[in-house]
Order: sequence, then structure tokens, then C-alpha cells
Amino acid sequence: MNLERIKPHFPWLTLLALVCVVGAANPAFFDPLGLLSLVTDVVPLFIMALGMTFAIYIGGIDLSAQQVANMVTVVATVYLSQFGIGVAVICILAGFVFGAVSGYVTTRLYVPSFVSTLAMGFVALSAAKYLSGQRALSMDVTERNTSFGWMFDSTVGVPHQLAIAAALLAFAWFLQTRTSFGRALKAVGSGELAAVASGLNVDRVKILAFAISGAFAGIAGLLFSVKLSGGDANLANGFLLLAIVAVLVGGTPLTGGVGGVLNTAIGTLIVMVIRAAMVYLEISATQQQMVFGVVLIVAIALTIDRSKLSGVVK
Amino acid sequence: MTDISAQTEPLGGLLTRDRIVKWAPVLVLVALVLLFPFFEFLEDLLEGKDHFYLLDSRFFSIRNAARIGIAAAPALMVAVGVTFIIIMGSIDLSMEGTISVCAVLFAFAFLGWGGTLASWAWLAIPTALLVGALLGFVNGLIHVRLKIPSFMASLAMGFVGTGFALVLTGGDRLRVEDELFRSLLTVRWLNFPIMCYVALAFLLLAWFIQSHTALGRNFYAVGGGEQLAQSSGLNVARVRVMGFTLAGIFFAVGALLAVGRIGIAETATGNNFMFVSITAVVVGGTALWGGIGGVWNTLVGVLIVNVINNGMVVIGLPSYVQDGVLGTLVILAVALSTNRKSVTFVK
Repeated sequence: MNLERIKPHFPWLTLLALVCVVGAANPAFFDPLGLLSLVTDVVPLFIMALGMTFAIYIGGIDLSAQQVANMVTVVATVYLSQFGIGVAVICILAGFVFGAVSGYVTTRLYVPSFVSTLAMGFVALSAAKYLSGQRALSMDVTERNTSFGWMFDSTVGVPHQLAIAAALLAFAWFLQTRTSFGRALKAVGSGELAAVASGLNVDRVKILAFAISGAFAGIAGLLFSVKLSGGDANLANGFLLLAIVAVLVGGTPLTGGVGGVLNTAIGTLIVMVIRAAMVYLEISATQQQMVFGVVLIVAIALTIDRSKLSGVVK
Repeated sequence: MTDISAQTEPLGGLLTRDRIVKWAPVLVLVALVLLFPFFEFLEDLLEGKDHFYLLDSRFFSIRNAARIGIAAAPALMVAVGVTFIIIMGSIDLSMEGTISVCAVLFAFAFLGWGGTLASWAWLAIPTALLVGALLGFVNGLIHVRLKIPSFMASLAMGFVGTGFALVLTGGDRLRVEDELFRSLLTVRWLNFPIMCYVALAFLLLAWFIQSHTALGRNFYAVGGGEQLAQSSGLNVARVRVMGFTLAGIFFAVGALLAVGRIGIAETATGNNFMFVSITAVVVGGTALWGGIGGVWNTLVGVLIVNVINNGMVVIGLPSYVQDGVLGTLVILAVALSTNRKSVTFVK
């Protein structure tokens, strides 16, 4: 029973322990309706984290996710009346294109992903401010309800938002485990040089990974704007940290190669429970960022694969 | 070692690729300074007004230069701090949190100990620098001891810092209205406010550290080849931690100038410093891979960024264009400064 063998089980054990602790302190936590609404609230964050998983899985990072989501809230709000539900396609495409450009800049122009995505995030911010005229926009209520009202219904007690999250998770899981693209992701994440040497088109895999991350950020942004019935260049602020935390506490290390989308589902639930606990302990929203920053450092330190850093940590 | 100050011969010599790359930032700066007045000239020409190219320019005036100086001074300090880190081949993304914490703690101490520089409240200034050093030190320790890549360690520390500043202030703004402290902005020598000279003094200090101390040489040694530096007996971990500590002190100076500029300390004091300072460093020609560049490059980079921001306002472009322009600029600068032969792959 050594540490390396139980390491993959850390995430769900952590989740279980946290649920027990929070439940013991506050039995009301187990109220099914309350739990259901907690899980439903975390759906946009989960989708963003799901996309982020692909970027981290190949050993990169996507710091533009939050800004892309911001931009998409504006896009969705501005074009809703014109395209109705078709606006979803535009939102996903917009995210995909931004992610693909980040990927292109990273692989072909040799700009490290944390810089390229940071920079693309500011390009997205510019676009969001331009489209919104630097104002907070709101959706027309009737148009929103005709196109996206179904999202807030539920079928046999399952909210449709959760169904969307589950469908996306299934899609991402399928991509990761049942396609050659998924195997290529694993190869790139486990050892990029070996992947290149074995003839894999690594650049294409990486560009696609960033594009998927962008597309999921776009979906997250769309959900935000529908939920809050509006768009604004700052609407999704604060979610970048939580999305990265969700991926890392789920057990996908910063060095990539292991973990994956199911881990991120667990990671998001951990973030949700920590948030619920902080609300119960009356730790205000302003202080939560500090807590999650520390959680992030601990999660990275525990999961990172130092043998991959070849002795030099820049 | 490439250091613009060490280069004394004029551009006229051989136009090698290295020399062009090295002087490109300066050329870009000069071109920008000449370009914005040209737009103004065109505008007046179309309206049929008389306009002598540089003489009638609103952009090319002492008043506007002072405005650029005021905008650039805090950013210069932050960018100089992160320059040391980038020379080592690492990166520090914690500045927004560090600046906010330093600014807020400075304001609390300053107001609590008397509220004017003429009293014991002046101790708030060294206190702020100490806080900056401490945050940088912790940042460096997390990076080196826990072996976490610096961009992630410092990003996380930045989040912690911003959160901490929020906890301290509870979202309130602290007003620092002491006239003596605000003279950083209000008192001008030769048209420029004192804060510009303070920034200049710290820039010279940074240059001294960079080129006349063992620590400065060690930064280049680590950035030029960490394993080589390690095997030649250098305590690389210690140099890194000291680098982050030094950067923290410069972030604190930036925080003080930022508070002096608007007279308010709040959680948002640190906003936007991260992207602007990283942009300035890489646009100035300091390579993200380490070992190349220095504080003079950073001065040029900060001026480029601020000239663009200011010039776009002067010629009437909407402010939201700036973020996109800076984003594109960063990508271009990093892409152009990268020697592709020496890079195997990029994460």
C-alpha cells in the first residue's frame, strides 16, 4: 500500500470525506432538493472546467476561458433576437475559433500557452467590450424564454441543465477514451517528444485541444448569459480560478497525461462542497478566493508529476 | 549578456539579425512617437486647418509626456520587478495580488500611525516594502520548495493576495489624502511630477543590481542555463527565492506610486498590472526563455505600451481597442523574439 497506488483514489476519497464532514456539521446539507439545486448551480463552472481539462491534459493551460465566456455572454445577448436558439451555434463556434487561435499561437509561433491564452483573453475582452458598447446588456425576456426556457424545466425531477452537463461529460469522456484523438491527447500529455518521434501530428492535436477548451468555455458563457438573462464583459469573472481548481483537485496534474474528464466531474463536486461549507461557516464570498488560492497550491503540489519536469522547474 | 546600455556603437554599423532584434523595441518606440502626431496632422489636414507636424501636436507635447510618465511610473516599477524573474526564465503572475495587499496595508498603517508623512506614519512606507518582500519570498518558496512551475505558483499566490486584500478592506476604499504624500503627483520639477523621478531612481537601482552585483549576474546565469549554473556551484534555489523577493519589493514600490497617483488604496489597486507589465517586458525585448534582456529593455517596453495607450486616446480610438492591441502585441513580441532552433517544444 504505497502512496503512488492510492494517489488516483485521492479525489473521490477527498470528496467523500468532505461530504461527511459538511454533512455532520450541517445535516440540512443532505436535503435532496438543496443538494439538487447546489449541483445545478455549479453546471456552468463544470462545463468550463471540462474544457479546461483538455488544455491541462496535454500539459498546457487555458487562461482565456473566463474571458471567452465573458465574450460569449455578450455575443449571446446581442444576437439572441436575430438568430433565436441558433445563437448557440455562434457561441460555440466563437469559443472554438478563439481556442484554435490560442492553440495555433502556442504550437506554431512557440508562445507558451499561459502567455498565448492570457493574450487571447485580452483580445476576447476587447471584442466583448466592442460588442457590448461597454454596457451591461440584458436579454428580452420573451425571446429568452422561447429559445432557452426549456433549460430551466426538468423531466422526472432531473433539471435539464444537469442533463446538458451529463451529455457534455459523456461527449468529452467519449472523446477522451474512445477515439484516436483521445489516445493522441494521452500520448502528447504523457510525453510530447515521444509523441512527435512516433509520427503523431502533435501540433494538430494540441490546437484541437485548445479549441475544445474554447468551445466548452463558450457553452459555459452561453449558459451564464441565459441563466442571468444578460451579457457583460465581466459577467463570468471569478470563474477562472475555480475552473482550474476543479481540474486540479480532480486529479489531473498540471503536467498532464493522467486524470481526465471524469476526474474533473469529481473536482467540480469538491469545489461545490467547499463552497457550500464556506457558506455554512459564514465565510463571505470575498474571502473564498483566498481559500481557493491556497487549495489550488496544495492541489498542484500533491498532484504534479515532478519526474516530468526534468529537474528544472521554471 | 545583452544590455542596451552596454551597446555604445550607433545603429549604422553592420545590420545583423541580432542587432536588428536588439534595437527593434527602440525603433518601434520612435516610430510610434512619430506616428501618432502624423494621425493628428492628417486629421487637421482633412479639416483644412494649419498644422505643423510635431509642433502643433497634442500628443508630442511636454504636457502629454508628463501624462504618459504618470501613467507609466507604477507600471514601470512592476515591470522592472518581473524583469528579474523573466531573466531567470521563470515568470511571476502574482503582482495584482501583491500590489493590492501592499497598497491596502500601507494605507492602514499610514492612516493608523498619524496620516501624514511628517509624523511616524512615514514608517508605513518601509512596512509596505517589507510586506512586498515577504509576499515575494513566500511566492519564491512555494515555487522552489514545492517544485511548482512559477506561472502557476505565482498565479495562485496572486489569487490569494487579491482575496486577502478584499478581506482586509471588506471592499472599502481607503483614502490617503496627506498632501506631503500626494506631492508625489502634485509637485512637479521640470514639468514632471516627483513620482516620475522616484521611478527613475528605482530604475537606476534596478540597473545597478542587474549589472553590478553578484545577484544580478546570477539571474542571467540561471536564465542562460540552469543546469550549467547549478553544476558550476551556484545555489539556484536561493537565487530564485531572492529574485522573487526582490520582485516583491519592486511591486510594493509600484503599489506606493499607484496609491500616490490616485490617493486611494483598495483591492482594485492591483487590477490590470499583470498584463500590462508582462506585455511591457516582452515587448521591450526581454525573452521569455530567460537570459536575454534587462531593465532598460523594460523601460522601452513600458514606454511603448503607454505611448500606445495614450496615443490611441489622443487620436480618438475607443479605449476597448487597447486590450486587443496589447494582446496581439504580446503574441507578436514573443513569437518574433523566439529563436526557433533552440526551442524543442512549447507547453
